[in-house]
Amino acid sequence: MADYKEAPLATRPKTLDPAEYFNLSPEYRRAEEKRAALRAQLKRQYLQQLNNPHRKELIEDPALTRWTYARTNNNYFRPTAKTSLIGGLFGVLPLFALYVVFKSDRDKREAKIKAGTYERPYKLST
Amino acid sequence: MLKVLIPTIMLFPTIWLVSPKWLWTTTTAHSLLIASISLTWLKWTSEAGWTSSNMYLATDPLSTPLLVLTCWLLPLMILASQNHITPEPISRQRSYITLLASLQTFLIMAFGATEIIMFYIMFEATLIPTLIIITRWGNQTERLNAGTYFLFYTLAGSLPLLVALLLLQQSTGTLSMLVLQYSQPLQLNSWGHMIWWAGCLIAFLVKMPLYGVHLWLPKAHVEAPVAGSMVLAAVLLKLGGYGMMRMMVMLDPLSKELAYPFIILALWGIIMTGSICLRQTDLKSLIAYSSVSHMGLVAGGILIQTPWGFSGAIILMIAHGLVSSALFCLANTAYERTHSRTMILARGLQVIFPLTAVWWFIANLANLALPPLPNLMGEIMIITTLFSWSPWTILLTGAGTLITAGYSLYMFLMSQRGPTPNHIMGLQPFHTREHLLMTLHLIPVLLLVTKPELMWGWCY
Repeated sequence: MADYKEAPLATRPKTLDPAEYFNLSPEYRRAEEKRAALRAQLKRQYLQQLNNPHRKELIEDPALTRWTYARTNNNYFRPTAKTSLIGGLFGVLPLFALYVVFKSDRDKREAKIKAGTYERPYKLST
Repeated sequence: MLKVLIPTIMLFPTIWLVSPKWLWTTTTAHSLLIASISLTWLKWTSEAGWTSSNMYLATDPLSTPLLVLTCWLLPLMILASQNHITPEPISRQRSYITLLASLQTFLIMAFGATEIIMFYIMFEATLIPTLIIITRWGNQTERLNAGTYFLFYTLAGSLPLLVALLLLQQSTGTLSMLVLQYSQPLQLNSWGHMIWWAGCLIAFLVKMPLYGVHLWLPKAHVEAPVAGSMVLAAVLLKLGGYGMMRMMVMLDPLSKELAYPFIILALWGIIMTGSICLRQTDLKSLIAYSSVSHMGLVAGGILIQTPWGFSGAIILMIAHGLVSSALFCLANTAYERTHSRTMILARGLQVIFPLTAVWWFIANLANLALPPLPNLMGEIMIITTLFSWSPWTILLTGAGTLITAGYSLYMFLMSQRGPTPNHIMGLQPFHTREHLLMTLHLIPVLLLVTKPELMWGWCY
């Protein structure tokens, strides 16, 4: 495995990267061990809650709470040039464009009705 | 009219004098009785005019379906709130039901009013119980913000209406709808008259809500408790539509020119709010935005003032009222079990609650306007009349229908299908009360398929 050579256009996956396993500095090792210990602690906490026979309520997931809060409390909007352009393009321009379309269409029809040349395509009582 | 109004007012002594053991049973039974009496309004004796016993309260084919909807909704609201209010002290429970009953009284008087000024006063009066329900019994801290937005948007819109009504009284000498329907068309040809026209309609457009001024609605619907959400979605939005339909009678011929911006806002709002629905994570927020989308169609239908537009608007209002209320009840059942409105948390529920999955299915199919349900009837009538008004609208309404189907199915698939989360335990089984609530919502929708003439308004 040490002499794995990746294909010319593919990237080497992280688990096969030799730098993950060889020539690791002691600080890196210690940091990795600490991170692994934290992960194990969190997993143990979750499994304890999950398998607790007396538990009746939901296991609270702080990541989910943060995510929903971030999605709903939209304080991350900042009026920049790009957002203003998008807002104008989708929020303001269609209103004027639709006004032009509808008004001209209706005025054409009104002119035809006044001139007496409008033939009603459908016999509807709408 | 009085045979429904007096029992509704008598609900107040009932609430406060009955013993705590029988409070919920008695109020539910009393309000169901009022609802069944209100069904007698559906048999109107004169074909097109008003049925009235006195000069001030009357019903006509436009207000009757909305009145029956209002009366039908009160027992459903009381049924829905029973679970989350019962742990509270008894006087607070009584206050809650009192607020619901007072809302009912104001709504009956609003829909039955013949004087426009009485309609206006009742329109404003409904704000107060709703505000108290949202801010006192809502569940998150955002409810204060929601109450503020709700109150001040509607108030800011309705102050011009008051001025406009007083001006109308000044110029025509009366504000009774019975008289105004026969009045001569008003001479409306100056800027002042245009402002008067706008003032008449802005309040109702904010209430409907129209797309540009809809910001209060998601907040209010999400933060309100279930009864508040139900009454907001089912009836209070329709107050706006009803008011618009009443006022449009007098606002010709200016409406031909001035209605364009509002029609455009309504139509574009269908697409915009429908698209926002697809990105929502909060279940109640999705249903709230879908309400804005449907009401955009209703606003478009009313503003073009054609017979089919008005009929389609009434039908869609009734159908949407029942279905939206049903969806809020379903969302509340999920909320009561998981205490969270996040959609990805409460998913895969079909495996656990199979019968409820049926209610979710029917409610979502109704929301996306499946034939032969009345939602489709209303939407098709409005879409057809909009097409006849200008063929280009079909692009917007067609895309809107597509997006509506998209987010309704998204809501269904997200909450019912898929893997159930492993860590959710201890979900109470569905109470009979909740099943009853859903059947009482959905059976009228299914029954209206068989006799839709009840909803067609003046054009039957």
